[in-house]
Amino acid sequence: MQLSRFLHLLDTYGADLQRWPAIDAAAARALLATSAEAQADWNRAVLLDEALRDTRNLPDAATLERMRAHVARHVARTPPPARPGLLHWLRPLLPMGSGALAALALCAAWLTFVTPAPVEDNGFSAPRQIAMIESTE
Amino acid sequence: MFLSLSPMALHGRSAPLTPPRTEAQAVLNRDRMAATDEALLAWAVEGDRLAFDQLSLRHLPRLYQLAHRITGDAAAAEDVAQEAMLRVWQVASSFDPERARFTTWLHRIATNIAIDRTRQAQRIAPPPDESLPAPGPDPEQQAAARQQRGRIAAALQEMPARQRAALALFYDQEMDGAEAAATLSVSTRALEGLLRRARRFLAGRLEG
Repeated sequence: MQLSRFLHLLDTYGADLQRWPAIDAAAARALLATSAEAQADWNRAVLLDEALRDTRNLPDAATLERMRAHVARHVARTPPPARPGLLHWLRPLLPMGSGALAALALCAAWLTFVTPAPVEDNGFSAPRQIAMIESTE
Repeated sequence: MFLSLSPMALHGRSAPLTPPRTEAQAVLNRDRMAATDEALLAWAVEGDRLAFDQLSLRHLPRLYQLAHRITGDAAAAEDVAQEAMLRVWQVASSFDPERARFTTWLHRIATNIAIDRTRQAQRIAPPPDESLPAPGPDPEQQAAARQQRGRIAAALQEMPARQRAALALFYDQEMDGAEAAATLSVSTRALEGLLRRARRFLAGRLEG
């Protein structure tokens, strides 16, 4: 394994070689056994991993109990989640956005095939009103 | 904490004095502690609030930890963790175990809420928590450790929320690359890029 490849993986997966892809981990162990530079970089990564672990925050018991009670109160007031509808089995078969596509197709069909009823001119249409207004000015 | 049962069970006083129905008894006797997340959620969809409470108990600590890493704020982390669980309750029926693991689905909900909140609030980095116990008895080591934690906390607040989320999922939650990528809705390669940029940024701050 080249040192550049080792650094690339070290920057991604950290110093715990068990979390590396198995093939790369074996090659990294071999490199660490022979390269002082790789060893130095690995030591720096260990320090960074430790710093990340040190800055993790778990809730204390009081915070956890408060959160649990808050969730339980709201859940008690809210009806159980709705069960899936009759057609829920269709969902995995349809790609994302198929509902919008179907609505669009319906609109297109409506605009194409449904002719609007002719507007009845009752003698008081908008153009005529505008003409009347203009004639009075 | 709460349980929905049949109307007969709910109106126990007006119901005839008959032995409890086997169905209700079976619900009461469920082994929620040992049940899988997926089973608990399925029971919750049926109205079993005790099952949902068990899910809360099981996952709130990790949701809080995840949210704290992303938001950098204890109060915000608490809000995010609670909101994520309530969102899960609302959309529980839409969970499909054949499409994703429950933890992936749950962490995706929490991560999205935390990232949205961070972007909206643009919170200022909190001061390093001096009350945390420092490892090692040596006062010099304690001071150095405190200083390092402060530098890390400040650097974390400067990086984009998605990079913090990648760190939280891969390192704190110890997800593998594929699951962390699925949680963030990105490819594995994109996740690796986020992790790499985040680590290089933090390493630069630690050394600088």
